[in-house]
Amino acid sequence: MQFHRFRSLFHFSPPRFASSRITLAALLTVSFAAAQEPPAPPPRPAGAKPSAPAKPSFLISRPVPAAEMAERGQKLYVAQCGFCHGTNATGGTQGPDLVRSVIALRDDNGELIGPVIRKGVPDKGVPPFASMTDVQIREIAAFLRSRQQAAINRGQYKIQNVVTGDAAQGQAFFARNCAGCHSPAGDLKGIAARLDPVALQARFLYPVTRTFGRGPAVPAGKPTMVTVTAGTRVLKGRLEYVDSFSVSLRDEHGDYHSFALDVPNPPKVDIQDPLAGHEALLPKYTDADMHNVLTYLVTLK
Amino acid sequence: MKHALLFLAAAIAPAQILDPAKLLQPPTDTWATYNGDYSGRRFSPLKQIHTKNVAAMTLAWTYRINTGPGGGGGFGSSIKATPIVVKGVMYFATPDHAWAIDARNGRELWHYTTPTKGGIHIGNRGFGMYGDWLYFETPDNHLVSLNARDGKERWKIEIADVKQEYFSTPAPVVIRNHVIVGVGGDSLDVPGYLESRDPETGAVKWRWNTTPRPGEPGAETWPNKDAMEHGGGMTRMPGTYDPELNLYYLGTGNPNPVMAGQGRMGDNLWTCSIVALNADTGKMVWYFQPSPHDTHDWDAVQTPVLIDGVIDGKPRKLLAQASRNGYYFLLDRVTGKRLVTKPFIPVNWTKGIDAKGQPIPDPKKEPQPDGSLVAPSSNGGTNWPPPSFSPDTGLLYVQTQSSWSIYYLTDTEGKPQGWGGRDQMLTARSALKAIDYRTGDVKWSHEYPGRGFGMPGVLSTAGGLVFTGDPSGNFIAYDAAAGKPLWHSRLTTAVSNGPMTYEMDGRQYVVVAAGDTLYGFAMMASWK
Repeated sequence: MQFHRFRSLFHFSPPRFASSRITLAALLTVSFAAAQEPPAPPPRPAGAKPSAPAKPSFLISRPVPAAEMAERGQKLYVAQCGFCHGTNATGGTQGPDLVRSVIALRDDNGELIGPVIRKGVPDKGVPPFASMTDVQIREIAAFLRSRQQAAINRGQYKIQNVVTGDAAQGQAFFARNCAGCHSPAGDLKGIAARLDPVALQARFLYPVTRTFGRGPAVPAGKPTMVTVTAGTRVLKGRLEYVDSFSVSLRDEHGDYHSFALDVPNPPKVDIQDPLAGHEALLPKYTDADMHNVLTYLVTLK
Repeated sequence: MKHALLFLAAAIAPAQILDPAKLLQPPTDTWATYNGDYSGRRFSPLKQIHTKNVAAMTLAWTYRINTGPGGGGGFGSSIKATPIVVKGVMYFATPDHAWAIDARNGRELWHYTTPTKGGIHIGNRGFGMYGDWLYFETPDNHLVSLNARDGKERWKIEIADVKQEYFSTPAPVVIRNHVIVGVGGDSLDVPGYLESRDPETGAVKWRWNTTPRPGEPGAETWPNKDAMEHGGGMTRMPGTYDPELNLYYLGTGNPNPVMAGQGRMGDNLWTCSIVALNADTGKMVWYFQPSPHDTHDWDAVQTPVLIDGVIDGKPRKLLAQASRNGYYFLLDRVTGKRLVTKPFIPVNWTKGIDAKGQPIPDPKKEPQPDGSLVAPSSNGGTNWPPPSFSPDTGLLYVQTQSSWSIYYLTDTEGKPQGWGGRDQMLTARSALKAIDYRTGDVKWSHEYPGRGFGMPGVLSTAGGLVFTGDPSGNFIAYDAAAGKPLWHSRLTTAVSNGPMTYEMDGRQYVVVAAGDTLYGFAMMASWK
């Protein structure tokens, strides 16, 4: 819902070519990563309880239970509660969903769910578990919190199998549309050994530098070049920045040149974007084409 | 003696700061609501700064906020609020913080801060005002009332439960003695609602639920009670208001689970809808649904802009929305009947338009386990940053993005939870587009070089100008009629709010936020 914001920071990484966006987006990504960096833990006195681990995501605003506590809670839960409420606590044939249960959400450390577990809910057929200890209740609470946070933390959702197409048809699409710039024996040799299928799917469609923040960085491809013609002066180089009012480049010596575009006789700017072909193809793929091409590329190990 | 004292006290009691009549006037010396007035047009009648002299507009002042270490809650300290200006004082807020500054020179008058119980600290749209009292919402879902004179807290009342993953960002809208508040948060499938609160006590006066309960109208668009109760539909943006019709217009948020629709088959009313509510009762009078059964996070919260226009030679009360799903809609705001449905960016997710003028979603373009390639991305063709409508040009100015994403369904269970999916954005191009309100045709477009997008709002003025930001950090004044940039200034970061304008001492100011700083521009040279 509320975009503003953050999905741009972790879904969308700036393409590696220079653009008006790159400075901003790169800065945002960096500052965002820094904000998530867990602070160094303070020295802990001997015998003190370990503190809860750092929050894994900006989406999580409550303490994350210790993994081993949640695991013990899961064992207890599955044995005592899972039959009715489902092994993932999302509800079963007899018991309601506990992940989105208001009582479970309001609970912090078992203080609300504990009495329900111990006394049961006789009119709904929930038996009492009177012998459950305080520690066990806290462990079950930790397990339920971990299930809630798994549902909340969409940044960690696992993508299922994406290799569902027809490799031969994908190869034919590749020959028609991609072979002008790319070759399976050349730049794409071993691409599927370097990128997992999900990363490869995003990168062949449009070479973003990261996929969901994971996977190895792919070696930089061709830079975006620009030719600026100002009167009789012609300068060529790597595009460093462009907006509606100025453009700048680095020439072959590494020297920086920038030009105003909001002047009476602005220079002529010719940007050679190596990713233009990827962008032009986006409206042309059917979803079947996308799956076929990926299934072909996955064979390039 | 006693009587004399009382009389004296009455005599020296100051007039209330915000005269309610100002809420019904176009914004000039006052900008009293998030959108400047009730119409959502963000059009100012001021014209001291105009197309011929804007080149000489210059910086008058800056004000940089300081929220202390960790004050941005992980999001940095970005000002997304549109400041309000009343009697020479500017009021604005960020999550857990609020300020008053002198609108003449940016000098701080007070800074209020409140401890938080959590919630996603993504943004805050600012204040609503009633007499001497200011109202804003916090990420942990409290409605806070402050004394405008000194920033002292009068009360702080919980309006939603942060433990259920609600977090609140909208600017309250004050209509007579209603403080209209909305809620946000779509992490874990909670139901949305809108409330009127009492300006003195904060007590609930009415409540409107964005999803029906069993047996209510709209329930037929959900498969069961559980889906309705977890159906989302947040009320995260301020709405607009027609005083003659006494109708409050609101765009509602997306349904939940956000990207997995298999557990909520049907249109999922009243999510992703434009609704007209009676301001005194909260009862819905009509609805129109831009995105039936949304599965792409395309909420319909974009400003429902009220236009008094002419269609086929007849004056009409109209409502326009450039919606996140990429479509422009023009409705009759008396009846909710649709007049125009037209995409303003490339879209590939519909099978057509139904008899009511609503897009028909293509099930094949819903998120799929192995991915579906869809335009636009979940960021949408536009997003929360407010557009502007100029009655002088008849154009709606909208910050747009043409974009692509792969949408994945990650939760294939019959009863998914949370988002149930995610999208991988591929690329985006940004442009400011000027849309003819009568036809939906794009009359002019200024495309920004490079990829990516910003989140700037838009302001238009009777000086023939449109003010907005670009993705590179420029604040730009355009010729409203032709779309040519006439002036710009590159700020420290991209524009992060909707620009606004006001007049003091005979001087027009234009104020915009970029990240943690407010910038005030004006014609600063002495003039006669």
